[in-house]
Amino acid sequence: MLTPILLIAVPAVFGLICLSLPAPRWRLAVMVTGAWVNLGVIIWSWLAPHAPLKDEFIGVDPLGHLIVTVIGVLFAATSLHFVGYQRAALISQRVFLACMLALLTALNLVCVSQNLGLLWVALEASTLAGTPLIYFHGGARALEAAWKFLLMNSVGIALALLGVFCTALASVGAGEAVTLTINSLVLHGRQLDPAWLRTGFLLMLVGYGTKMGLAPLHSWLPDAHGEAPAPISALLSGAVLNAAFLAILRAYQVCQAANLGEFAGGWLIVLGLFSMAVASVFVVGQRHFKRLLAYSSVDHMGILAVAVGLGGVASYPAMLHVLHNVFYKGALFFVAGILGHSYGSYQIANIRGALRRYPLTGFLLLAALFAATGLPPFGLFYSEIGILFAAASSGHWWTLAAFALFLCIVFVGMVTAVLPMAFGGHSEPEAAAHTWDGGERWRYRAMAAPACLLIGLGFVLAVYQPSFVKEALDQAAAALGPHDTGAAIATAYAAGGGR
Amino acid sequence: MTYHPAIDTILVLAMLLNLSMLASSRLATCIRLFAFQSFLLALLPVGGEIAVGELPSLHAYLIAAAAIGLKVILIPYVLMRILRSGEIHKDVEPFIGFTASVMIGALAIVASFAMASRLVLPMPPFSDLVLPAALSTIFIGLLTLVTRVTAITQVIGYLVLENGIFIFGLFLLNRTPLLVELGILLDVFVGVFIMAIVVYHIRREFDHIDTDLLDELKEV
Repeated sequence: MLTPILLIAVPAVFGLICLSLPAPRWRLAVMVTGAWVNLGVIIWSWLAPHAPLKDEFIGVDPLGHLIVTVIGVLFAATSLHFVGYQRAALISQRVFLACMLALLTALNLVCVSQNLGLLWVALEASTLAGTPLIYFHGGARALEAAWKFLLMNSVGIALALLGVFCTALASVGAGEAVTLTINSLVLHGRQLDPAWLRTGFLLMLVGYGTKMGLAPLHSWLPDAHGEAPAPISALLSGAVLNAAFLAILRAYQVCQAANLGEFAGGWLIVLGLFSMAVASVFVVGQRHFKRLLAYSSVDHMGILAVAVGLGGVASYPAMLHVLHNVFYKGALFFVAGILGHSYGSYQIANIRGALRRYPLTGFLLLAALFAATGLPPFGLFYSEIGILFAAASSGHWWTLAAFALFLCIVFVGMVTAVLPMAFGGHSEPEAAAHTWDGGERWRYRAMAAPACLLIGLGFVLAVYQPSFVKEALDQAAAALGPHDTGAAIATAYAAGGGR
Repeated sequence: MTYHPAIDTILVLAMLLNLSMLASSRLATCIRLFAFQSFLLALLPVGGEIAVGELPSLHAYLIAAAAIGLKVILIPYVLMRILRSGEIHKDVEPFIGFTASVMIGALAIVASFAMASRLVLPMPPFSDLVLPAALSTIFIGLLTLVTRVTAITQVIGYLVLENGIFIFGLFLLNRTPLLVELGILLDVFVGVFIMAIVVYHIRREFDHIDTDLLDELKEV
């Protein structure tokens, strides 16, 4: 019980300290410390085994633990990147840093909340904390992005609340003992009223799907990613989207227990493939680097939805995808932040020859590109292959064909856009680019180091996966699956060559 | 058939208020109508328990108090301040005209009754009008969100949507923990507060709150 409380209290307390300190330097230091102490708490929490949860409001289960960990790692890396990124901004630094820690608090609460209602409250709180972050640079475009983010997510999440209420209605017939906690719902799954649960799941899928960036309600996402500062884009795509994904997984867990796994999975596959289709349309020919990355996020969320929808054997690669996606999406946005400062623009056409001019950044850009598009030896290769195998073994041939097609289109779109940025010729005068001399040097290092860290971590985990990581992924996958077979199949898949 | 005159009157009034919000072009009137609707709905948690012959619980009183404090007093106050701080009083002509949207709203109410009669509730509600009132309020909230162009009316649409969900949540008063319900109300309030700040910035940036101008960001 101590872990969930610490996970909420630590960032909240650091956020309050941040609000009260007078000097900007100190506030920045407190934000970074907060993010790393949070990571420390998470690492410490892995030392104890998962205790079975009772009917509690908050608690740590394998699924939430995995997501809270990836969010914690990304947040710690982002806090370092932000130290280098920070410049004079329009909105107050005090509010901004406090909002970052408030966002972390809300996301941690999403991960540890075991009650569907509390989960909703936490996710909506994360929208509210995120809005000022998007408005960092000020101006009309950032304002538009912030407004779209706030309104679309609030309305989407309002529909999800309706879904939570429908799920609660479904549980009324099962007796007074059933509460809205995941455990209780899963335990009494067969007694839930299927009609109301279906309605509830669809509303939650649409509502939380808005926040997760599933098409057709993804339209806030490219705008928000395009206009927000790079570290915030990294948080949005790596942390906020995953938290919303967790919310959908919770709804899916309940459906699975109520024997509605096929129904829920079918809709997840439909929305997932549609998101991949939309992403592949907009990735090709995209001119703005961060919008390109945003559509890549939509693509990856689609992949996750399809994987979970396939269920069974695909659950393990789905969890593997969650883990590795965070590293590379974070790293790509960090690289975008460096390139944005270096070239003074995020337009793909303006960024050329990064490898020659900024060798380290160019190298990181290429590594993150290959990792994010799923080339071996990076982790996303294994997860995507795993999902393809799962689709084949369960006979979802149309899903498999569409999935593979969209993966290829996105790959081509990403590579054709990014390779010229790394190699490219002399499209503008050399003087236009920032040189990072003297006093600026540390900024460059502070911005590049977290990207190295994430890519390195992802690479190591792809080449050698320690048994505790595999165990954690297995447990999370087993929490999704049909409860008798999930773990067995995941183990069988892993033994058959997957990592 | 369950029937309780006071409860039914409140629900019918809430539905009519939806229509009058659709019809009114003055923003201040819209906000007042919303406050009045929220006040009526805040009576329901307590009223519902009296209607089924129970002694109202502390839970119901607390929800009612929080709803009145946040949705009847604080949110309208914040919105009115935004309104007064500028020169905006009238709504811009929406995509669908005022008369037409009232007609669509009336159709939505009819459709809600039709839908509600088909849905089977696991337990009898304290009034047969609860479900149609909830559904129609949700529809009309969504309609306002989609068809209106000023940022403030979109916020009002969001709030009407939330009111609809609030009516729906009345079924579950004793099943949702108090902490969660208060959290929901607080989230809505903070959400509107931040929306109001963004609206303020939008007006400073563009000189008005017409979100139609917010179309800079799109694929070319």
